[in-house]
Amino acid sequence: MKTSKSNPWIFLVAAAVTIAVALSGRLACQTGAVKPSGESSGSGNQWSVQVERIDPGDLDLAHSFQVAIFENLLEELNKTKRFKYVLREGDGSASAIPDLLILKTTVVKYTPGSETQRAVTTVSGATKLTVRSQLMTGDGKIVLDRTVQGNVRFFGSNLRSTHNLARNIAKVIKESQWRGSEPANAALTGQLKQPTPLSCCLMGAHDEKWITVTEQRLIAQSMAGPSNSHEEDR
Amino acid sequence: MHRLFVVRKDKSGCFGRHVLSLWAVLCCFGIGASAQSTSPAVNPNAPFSTQATHLLGFPNTKNNCKGILSIQNNELRFQQSGEPVAEVDIASIRHVLLGEESMQVGGVPMKIGKAAAPFGSGRVVSLFAHAKYDTLALEYVDSNGGVHGALFQLKKGQAELVRNQVVARGVYSGSGEGQATKQSTSEVEREDK
Repeated sequence: MKTSKSNPWIFLVAAAVTIAVALSGRLACQTGAVKPSGESSGSGNQWSVQVERIDPGDLDLAHSFQVAIFENLLEELNKTKRFKYVLREGDGSASAIPDLLILKTTVVKYTPGSETQRAVTTVSGATKLTVRSQLMTGDGKIVLDRTVQGNVRFFGSNLRSTHNLARNIAKVIKESQWRGSEPANAALTGQLKQPTPLSCCLMGAHDEKWITVTEQRLIAQSMAGPSNSHEEDR
Repeated sequence: MHRLFVVRKDKSGCFGRHVLSLWAVLCCFGIGASAQSTSPAVNPNAPFSTQATHLLGFPNTKNNCKGILSIQNNELRFQQSGEPVAEVDIASIRHVLLGEESMQVGGVPMKIGKAAAPFGSGRVVSLFAHAKYDTLALEYVDSNGGVHGALFQLKKGQAELVRNQVVARGVYSGSGEGQATKQSTSEVEREDK
């Protein structure tokens, strides 16, 4: 009789303990999830990056676009606070910086648009830029290789696509994670969240930014061979 | 018979003279037109200034602001109203490149007006509310040797004047040989192998 009366209390206490354990575990998971990003940003801060001028490839990309991409890229990389120094091509102080990455940007595809066409039709006249961004070490080993897009679909001038592109490149670099504690052996693993079609649509609907990672090439592995310490994950 | 022949000969001579005079007049017009199309000689020591919109890249200057772009004492200056002068030594400029852009005019008020217009009639306004501008892209280096880029938007035809002024001071005008890069509507693509 006594045990039957205490049964609900036992269940209640057991439930409370279970909830408490579950909540504490969840909190621990959250703190555990935050910690590595802090660590990664800490190790990332030891690196610097030198941005090279935009390579238009074989495309007839207007000079104003090349200059705009270059300048916007420098600004956006500075905003990420991922790098200790963000240097320009030709900067003499680059030789004195030990852990320096070089960012190469090659234009892969360019669709010129028209602001008037966008204003009149809404659905056509988008300016689209697709570039291949390669982050490499001083000895030429590629640690990050991405194809990034920057578009302007609805509002804004054609040059706004360069700003969107630079922001997307900076975002890709920021979201890619460092591997390794020592800067000399560290590599960008390039773990980028692949956007789902829904997230792409939402992003496009909200502020016209589309990050489309269309390819991930394991150039670092193929170029450096199996003994290479740099590796790139999906 | 003989007289008729002479008369005909006279007439043909008269026609030839008319053709000759017409040709001479056309030549004069042609020479005049070609003289007008050639750019006037640029005096490198004369000060030069024009209105421009700074899009990005010039030191200590806000983006998308209007001001006066001028050349004085081998310095390229941009002066906003009520702001200190930003300047770059012309000797540090590596390339001057021209471009052309078509943009909607009127800014935000025009956009709101077009959006508020009934039955989508604002779109019709957009058909006519655009203007072509010149873009002037500069590449210069800082004291460390780092490459900088600056972009200005000028009224049609003004960018070439600035370029001529800068080139007269010994700056290379870029790979475009002074020709503005126009945007085409066709898609261009490069495949990386």
